[in-house]
Amino acid sequence: MNSFPSSEKSLVPEDETVAGLRTRCHDYEKYGSALFCITHHLHFVPITSPTVVMTDKKKLTTAEILALARKDKNAGGGSAEAEKPAETAPTESSTPQAKAAPKSTADILAAARAQAGAKKEASGESAKPAAKPKSTADILAAARAQGGGATKAAPAASKAVAKPAAKKVEAPVGDRPALKDMVAAVKESQATGAPIKPKLPVGRKPPVKPKLPKKAEKVGRRGFVALLAAIAITPFVLAWSSVTAILGIWSLGIARFMMPNMVLELPSKFKVGSPADFPPGGVSAKFKASRGVWIINSDEYNGKGIIYALASVCTHLGCTPNWLEGEQKFKCPCHGSGFYVTGVNFEGPAPRPLERVGIRLAEDGMLEVDKGVKFQEELGQWSDGKSFVDA
Amino acid sequence: MNPHPDLTVGVIHGLGWLYLLLFFMNLGWAVHSFKKDGHHESLFGVKHVPKAVWWAAYAFMLLMLSTAHLFVDSDADEFLIMLPVWFKNIADAVIANPISFFLISLVIYAAIIILRDWWVKPTVAWVLFNLSVLFIGISMTDFDFRQIVGKPDNVPILGMLYLVGYTTWLYFYKSKENDKRIAEGRPLLEKEQSDQVLVWPDLVYTEMICMILLTALLIVWGVALQAPLEEPASAVKTPNPSKAPWYFLGLQEMLVYFDPWMAGVVLPSVILGGLMAIPYIDFNTKGNGYYTFNERKFAVSTFLFGFLPLWVGMIVLGTFIRGPNWNMFGLYEYWDVHKLEVLNNKNLSDFLWLDALALPLPKPDPTSSALAQLGAILQREGLGLILVVLYLFAIPPLLAITIFKKFFIKMGFVRFMVLANLFLFMASLPLKMVLRWTFNLKYIVSIPEWVFNI
Repeated sequence: MNSFPSSEKSLVPEDETVAGLRTRCHDYEKYGSALFCITHHLHFVPITSPTVVMTDKKKLTTAEILALARKDKNAGGGSAEAEKPAETAPTESSTPQAKAAPKSTADILAAARAQAGAKKEASGESAKPAAKPKSTADILAAARAQGGGATKAAPAASKAVAKPAAKKVEAPVGDRPALKDMVAAVKESQATGAPIKPKLPVGRKPPVKPKLPKKAEKVGRRGFVALLAAIAITPFVLAWSSVTAILGIWSLGIARFMMPNMVLELPSKFKVGSPADFPPGGVSAKFKASRGVWIINSDEYNGKGIIYALASVCTHLGCTPNWLEGEQKFKCPCHGSGFYVTGVNFEGPAPRPLERVGIRLAEDGMLEVDKGVKFQEELGQWSDGKSFVDA
Repeated sequence: MNPHPDLTVGVIHGLGWLYLLLFFMNLGWAVHSFKKDGHHESLFGVKHVPKAVWWAAYAFMLLMLSTAHLFVDSDADEFLIMLPVWFKNIADAVIANPISFFLISLVIYAAIIILRDWWVKPTVAWVLFNLSVLFIGISMTDFDFRQIVGKPDNVPILGMLYLVGYTTWLYFYKSKENDKRIAEGRPLLEKEQSDQVLVWPDLVYTEMICMILLTALLIVWGVALQAPLEEPASAVKTPNPSKAPWYFLGLQEMLVYFDPWMAGVVLPSVILGGLMAIPYIDFNTKGNGYYTFNERKFAVSTFLFGFLPLWVGMIVLGTFIRGPNWNMFGLYEYWDVHKLEVLNNKNLSDFLWLDALALPLPKPDPTSSALAQLGAILQREGLGLILVVLYLFAIPPLLAITIFKKFFIKMGFVRFMVLANLFLFMASLPLKMVLRWTFNLKYIVSIPEWVFNI
């Protein structure tokens, strides 16, 4: 009793039960009764498509099947009406235009194969299973089972098939005997030769007429498509999620670069030595490479001996000029601008003199240069006391 | 041991291979000449001598020259075939002087156009090509020339010069043929010999072959000439001389004569905008789809002036002539960092106030009001500003009523003004250069207070 789910539950997982049966078929074969297996398949997963079954005895081509299917559809074989024939079909339904229209080419093909396989044994047998197939897998499973074992089917067995099938129509799907009962019934029938009558479980609710509305059917199909879509889309969701996450981390890392953990510039104020280190008339390039300034002691600007610091940036385009001792001038290698020792431009394209930076005599008697301030001659800033120190 | 030897065995052998290559090329030319050039009626008493005999003789001379180079094994200093010193000195003096350099480039430009019917003859062009190769070959016997021209950076520039020469020749060669046909009323060469081909396979195959050859050339180039990598860049150390990429050397040369804003921003924008505006300015419908000079004299001459002396010429100047401290050096001159060039430049205001009026320059007092400062600046630079305004606004109408009268009528006011201003902007470069070289004029308008200089 435990191996089968209760009737309410078994409504939905038809696939499971079929799969379970298929595996169990092998178990039954141990008992030497493949037939039983087949009957059960016919019972639980009956072939639909009464159209195909009833009308054609010969094998159908795919094209023919498709044409039939279309015809069915056009004949009003909507899924709403498909319910009724499913219920009435078992009673010798000789109406070829039954409405249970197959839902897909695969369905039709499966049905056709099943029909072809079962033809030999099912000749004259009119009780056709009527329950609607739930899925392609169901049909295929049933078809294989039928095709494989049909030849062994005996007329007696077919009767045995017929009864449960008929019963099935009245009873809801899933209202099936327990496995133990089935096995017992088979054993009994083998012993007595009587047809199998599996007992239904005791104490079960009287089977309710299965109201398999088209809605339920549609939900099942939708659920299957949705499952496929979900399977298909999952890798993309995963991939894009991880890409987004990685990009987010990268962006944070890049944002971190905007705030480097360092001091960007050397302090703008620095000591360069005592005034005695810079004799009159000398241009010291000692701090040019490290700090970009020349320290100059000259009296050429106003006739007054002063010490000042010139920024070593050409006022034309920002190259670094060189001090040429022999020529007593600063000369830029980029476009040939020339500056006197005072920093005043006299040749080449530089439009204005070199810039002075701040300089002062610190409290300890050392010269302190301040690159944070600039003094431009053309703006009259060289008269500012912070731009030079009296030598 | 001379650290700067003019000649080494390696150089002599290299020249030998160069002359050998030239010999084979001229051998081929002699065959070509034999087939096409016909015969002398009588030469030194010998009748019916093919004219190709001259080329054969020249080729034989090249073979001798090549042999003489290739079989030198030692004593490179004893080798006699080298550039004479007097020639070097004259060439240096001419080339290192900006005025003569610019004059030479102008003369070449004028000759290209005026003598176009003569120099596009294949024989003449071949002679010119031979002369240029021989000139470079013999110049290679100078150490300083080798240092400049043989620098891996500069070898492609030399190749580019030949490419410019060839494309210019090709244009004039095809134009000459078409101009002749137009004058005689015959159909154009492109129409008569309409040899339309298919994209596939003709064009695509050609392109593929070009692609393969170019790739091979790039590989050979990359292997043979090492990339001139230098020490890591430093903000406080500028190489001397500091040169832009070769294609920007024209701009760098412009920067010598103009304020950075002018030469670096305004003029390049005008150049680009002007090139884009050409289709809208051009009212001449002729010359569409075929080569011609006579039907597009103004357009071609203007373009070639901007391209040859002002762009290619400046690239040559920047590549081969500009040396340390951006001074000009002759091709055979040692790049002396301490070469002294007196370039005391003066602004126009200096000329006006200090020289002509003998007055001190009006200087804006930084403590006075902004208006007073403006007045002082305008007083100082008034003349320059007036000249600039006149140049840009008075000359176009003058042109419209004089030499460009036809243009003005055909083009209408707006198009003519655009053309005239583009023309004036282009002319401003050589004008400013000449003013710098002749008068040491730095800026016509110099307002360093506002970083505004023209």
